[in-house]
Amino acid sequence: MYKIIIFFFSIIIMTQSCQHLSVPKDSRYLSMVGDIANDPKLDDPNFTLCDEKNTKQYHNLYEEMQYEGEKYALDNIFATQFKPSEEAKDSGMIRIRFIVNCKGETGRFRLMSSGYDYKKKQVDKAITDQLMTITKSLKGWKILSDKKGPKDYYQYLIFKITDGQIKEIMP
Amino acid sequence: MTKLTKYIIVWVIALCQTISSAQNCNVFLYQKDTLQYEACLIAEDAYQYYQYSREYQEILDKAIEKCPHFSYAYLNKSTAYLKSGDFITWKYLIDKAVEYNFRENIGYRGWCKFMFFRDYQGAIDDIESLEAVSKGNIGYSAGGHYHLKVAKALCYKQLGDVDKAISIMEQYMLDSANQISVFDHLHLGVMYLETEAYDKAITQLNLQSVQNDLAENQYYLALCHKKMGNDSLFSEHITKAKEMYLRNQKMVFHYTEPIDRVYLEEINQALIGNEKADK
Repeated sequence: MYKIIIFFFSIIIMTQSCQHLSVPKDSRYLSMVGDIANDPKLDDPNFTLCDEKNTKQYHNLYEEMQYEGEKYALDNIFATQFKPSEEAKDSGMIRIRFIVNCKGETGRFRLMSSGYDYKKKQVDKAITDQLMTITKSLKGWKILSDKKGPKDYYQYLIFKITDGQIKEIMP
Repeated sequence: MTKLTKYIIVWVIALCQTISSAQNCNVFLYQKDTLQYEACLIAEDAYQYYQYSREYQEILDKAIEKCPHFSYAYLNKSTAYLKSGDFITWKYLIDKAVEYNFRENIGYRGWCKFMFFRDYQGAIDDIESLEAVSKGNIGYSAGGHYHLKVAKALCYKQLGDVDKAISIMEQYMLDSANQISVFDHLHLGVMYLETEAYDKAITQLNLQSVQNDLAENQYYLALCHKKMGNDSLFSEHITKAKEMYLRNQKMVFHYTEPIDRVYLEEINQALIGNEKADK
């Protein structure tokens, strides 16, 4: 009997912290920091999620990002496919955030950029367009699961760009 | 111990872990800072929610409304932005936390700049600012794997000043007051390897083997022996590196890639290179 009581008591507490409530209209926040809502003008209509309200963060499901061939392979893809331009000598940080769905497909790509002072800045489009194209072409994102099965999850890549060259890729 | 007692202990531990993530508001009461005390009480409600959630952020906003210099709320608000890679919002929030409590937050900001955004100079500036106002130990990283002096050394190395990095590491190791952390010998060993001081590198990497043996450690030992022309020891260590890697005995950090991390493909390439040389 005590097992049942403790079980239900725990469930009540856990649901308090885990529930995804609908967002009030006057809130300046989305349901979760970094959420990306579907935008028909931007997003592929064929990209769908298994469970929109329970999209995880990559670090909820595995300690580090999971890509076929590990980050070594990912770094190599950008090292070989990104072509620095003579005209685009910009510097700054660029984040591309997106969702990997429960089938390992990617979508809802969004880009943010700043200078090295962390202040918002539009980095040269010749650089950001290339990074976006390569990121959209990546096919090695692993399907990540929890105990209930494959999950949709948010992933991001941050590129440190100096004089138009990729210096580092995170995370 | 009865089953009921076990269940209660597990439940109490889980509850304590939740509570321990919060700040002790009485600290502000003892300091007669009623504004921060009241803000702290408001903030306590946030800790039942996931730090990414709207509820968590909104409750901390209310705490800030109550006390605009309550640094703890800015610090906690910043975490989800840090982990989701939103460097612009993170920096705005963590700067506020540093502004209102410099001593407590400047080292943490430096660590995050280093680990999450590879902002080596920014991290050095923050850690050195902390050193300038600290009389004693400047403390450890979030998570506790690195002393901030070691983090600073790694930043100098990443900026290309390996000699300075080594100098900081050696001084840190000499100071008996410092606790050698789980990757310190590995990093110093790699620094020596990069400056072709192979004997010193092997000494440090062997110390790492004793303390916390990793695939990375074996990989760099293999490279040292290769450089010194000892092919049999190279083979021994590179083979061990692969075995350990496949057993998951490798450097894995939550969220980001550690410095001196080695990947399976690099180990395989070293092995293939050795096989080709043998033919």
